Amino acid sequence: MKRIAFPAAFVAALVLTALAAPLLDLPDPIRQDIANRLAGAMAGSPLGRDEFGRDVLARLIWGARASLGVAFASAALACLVGVTLGLIGGWMRGLGEILTLRLVDIVLCFPPILLALLVVTLLGPGAGTLILVLAVLYAPGFARLTYGEVLSVRATDYVEAVRALGASTPRILTRTVLPNIAGPILVQFSLAVAAAVVVESGLSFLGLGVVPPTPSWGLMIRGGRTTMAQAPLLLLWPCLALTLTILAMNLLCDALRDAVDPRARAGGGRRRIVDRVLPGLFPAPRPAAPGLSISHLSVEIDTPKGTIRPVDDVSLSVASGETLAVVGESGSGKTLTALATMGLLDPSVRVVAGQVLFEGRDLLTLDERDLRALRGKRIAMIFQDPMTALNPVMRVGDQIVEAIRAHSAAGARAATDRALELFRRVGIADPEKRLRVYPHEMSGGMRQRAMIAMALANNPVLLVADEPTTALDATVQAQILDLLADLRRDTGAALIFITHSLAVVAEIADQVVVMYAGQIVESGPVAAVFATPRHPYTAALLAASPDSNDPSAGIPGTVPALHALPPGCRFAPRCAHATDACATPPVLEVLEDGRESRCVRRREIFG
Amino acid sequence: MSALVELEGVSKSFGGEGWFDRTKPVQALRGVDMRIARGEALGVVGESGSGKSTLGRVALGLLEPNAGQVRFDGASVGGASPAHWRALRRRMQIVFQDPFGSLDPRRRVGVQIADGLAIHDIVPAAARAAKVAELLGLVGLPPEHGDRFPHEFSGGQRQRIGIARALATGPDFLVADEPVSALDVSIQAQIVGLLAKLRAELGLAMMFVSHDLRVVRRLCDRVQVLYLGRTMEEGPAARVFESPAHPYTRALLAAAPRLDGPRRAKLLLRGDPPSPSSPPSGCVFRTRCAHATAECAAAVPALREISAGHKAACVHLERIPPL
Repeated sequence: MKRIAFPAAFVAALVLTALAAPLLDLPDPIRQDIANRLAGAMAGSPLGRDEFGRDVLARLIWGARASLGVAFASAALACLVGVTLGLIGGWMRGLGEILTLRLVDIVLCFPPILLALLVVTLLGPGAGTLILVLAVLYAPGFARLTYGEVLSVRATDYVEAVRALGASTPRILTRTVLPNIAGPILVQFSLAVAAAVVVESGLSFLGLGVVPPTPSWGLMIRGGRTTMAQAPLLLLWPCLALTLTILAMNLLCDALRDAVDPRARAGGGRRRIVDRVLPGLFPAPRPAAPGLSISHLSVEIDTPKGTIRPVDDVSLSVASGETLAVVGESGSGKTLTALATMGLLDPSVRVVAGQVLFEGRDLLTLDERDLRALRGKRIAMIFQDPMTALNPVMRVGDQIVEAIRAHSAAGARAATDRALELFRRVGIADPEKRLRVYPHEMSGGMRQRAMIAMALANNPVLLVADEPTTALDATVQAQILDLLADLRRDTGAALIFITHSLAVVAEIADQVVVMYAGQIVESGPVAAVFATPRHPYTAALLAASPDSNDPSAGIPGTVPALHALPPGCRFAPRCAHATDACATPPVLEVLEDGRESRCVRRREIFG
Repeated sequence: MSALVELEGVSKSFGGEGWFDRTKPVQALRGVDMRIARGEALGVVGESGSGKSTLGRVALGLLEPNAGQVRFDGASVGGASPAHWRALRRRMQIVFQDPFGSLDPRRRVGVQIADGLAIHDIVPAAARAAKVAELLGLVGLPPEHGDRFPHEFSGGQRQRIGIARALATGPDFLVADEPVSALDVSIQAQIVGLLAKLRAELGLAMMFVSHDLRVVRRLCDRVQVLYLGRTMEEGPAARVFESPAHPYTRALLAAAPRLDGPRRAKLLLRGDPPSPSSPPSGCVFRTRCAHATAECAAAVPALREISAGHKAACVHLERIPPL
């Protein structure tokens, strides 16, 4: 809100001053006084007199009436016409679309100044002509912008929802579509006003705009130019007025756009640049072990609502040839944990404690160069959405060849052969042909296979898969899960599998770690954990699963926000077994069979 | 039970119509029948590209079919006048998949819930706030939430708001288009439970579009399985899930991962679904089917009745061993 105050006050003051010009006790702006020609500051004329001895301040204020009046009127007219055309074109499609768009294109084809000169020459100069000309010039911009915005808004579910409610077209356009495209239109409006002020001045300067002796900023610049050598300040005042007005208009429209968006209001958007603390400078305490182990990893993020800790004291390990599933809902910290193992955390995420040991080295202390050498070679990652992870303008085969050659001395020939072999290995039919296609030419399942092929390119010993099947159809998901299980068996790589689906965990994993609100709440072998859960969250999650025998009403409430965590057990507010004892934070206990559980009432609930 | 919603031989394709559009049209639906009785819940399942969402939009009249009949409450809605449509809109509503995209980000949720009341002038303006509070209560939200903006809610809460908006006009027919697939696991069950409760309380007829068979099984009386715009199998939910007849339904059921450990007899399908713009001739499923023969390519198999209300479109029904 603070951002809007200054530009709004400035524009308001400007407009009010211009409007109030007749009421102010100003000297007549067109009365000539040749005796005081080009006089400096004097009594009654703080800014001096111009080449005909007219008062500069009075001409500046009266000139604002002409300049701003023309600018606002033409921008408003252009906005009205353009937005209407854009709405019709974007909403009606068909003939309406073709007519409006082509009309707009024709206008856009004319060089703007030439068009202005033509119209002015035909209709004669004057403020009315100027408004018309400028409106014609700026309307196409509004029309094209509105058209594009309407196209994207009309495809949203909330517009379809109002249609399904039976709303009439005018109601949809005014209540739903217009408010949602108002932001860009406001920005366009500010640009149009600013540009109109400049073009008005330019045309007046050329003698084609406002007719003398009516004052306008353009005419003032024109007059000042002729006497530039004797009185340079005469040129400065109108130019300064012009610059400040345009600047204030731009600032105002930016602030307005943010102000009309209810989403932007809540956040506040302050983001500090955090310095990265390097933890754990001591050497690895354990000898090099196969696989990966994370110990006591905690990461923090600074947000406008305070510092949050999306990963809190997480320890887990995965051995070669083993699959560890990390399961949790959104906000549980599972993806950040996975990214930490790859050294791929965003710079705004700060590691405050912990180690990620891989082949005897702490990945958190490695520099970017060493990490890059590991990534894609020893450790590889499979992402949820292969479409965003593959380069859309590069052939899939070339991307795999590139991945191979980035980490080995293989020649182009050998790398291509290897890519072909990988494609066969992940079950892509007709691999020679598929190597030459672009990502968008593949189906979702095939892209995920290509992604896996790329991950396997350099025989990694650790694969991190972040929800690799979530975006896929059920029959394709089954194929990919089978492929991953096969690959792990054949290559002996360790696999960390991030997912929100317990059924997928049951399908693929040996060990499971259940996370909730940044913490591990339970871990152990999959079969044991699913048969006899030792934490109420795991038990409730299993019960809420659609294919459990007695699907209840789910877990009440929602996952707590990380900046407003409950003081004790984080699951307590949603837990059916919560008592006063749960108000103190529970620790993650190691049970006699090697499993872990974070629940103070574990013995009472599960025996 | 009389049918509330009836679709007969509905086809719908997209694209390939314009002057400059030379691309092959995507055939989303081809000769699909659908029938939903009053108070009945029909689950429509299929993978992406099966046409299940399009079917929901056609049933609601949001999309006009290229061919076929749509009847609501016994009367054809094709070519209905705008006034007639407005009256119909009151009685049929939709709940969307994406809880973040289906609410207007710039308007308070109470106002959005009241939209239907205002458009159809059901409740006088003065009483709308009370009605909105009642609707919020119905979906398990406190009444003061009506003054907030959509971004202040979690996904599950937004989905509740979407349901409240749909219920405002007091519809008899609700299309739920993947209403839980974008939600967290622990929240999914809440929403499914809410939909089941509302259906029982309000006697709604529902078309539940989903790719998740497990959710459909919990909520629906009948199931219709689509593949590439054609019906593969339909019947009472219990029958279809216990003894699926069509090879595609069997593969779909086998592919769903299960809590009780590693899968099932291997019934994996080969390859990906073909493109809906150039579907195979004859039976559309034959390119991925283990039982396919030359006969399958010859003609489109008709739906054949196996037992009361249970039908499947496969020429080899007798040849395929029961599960």
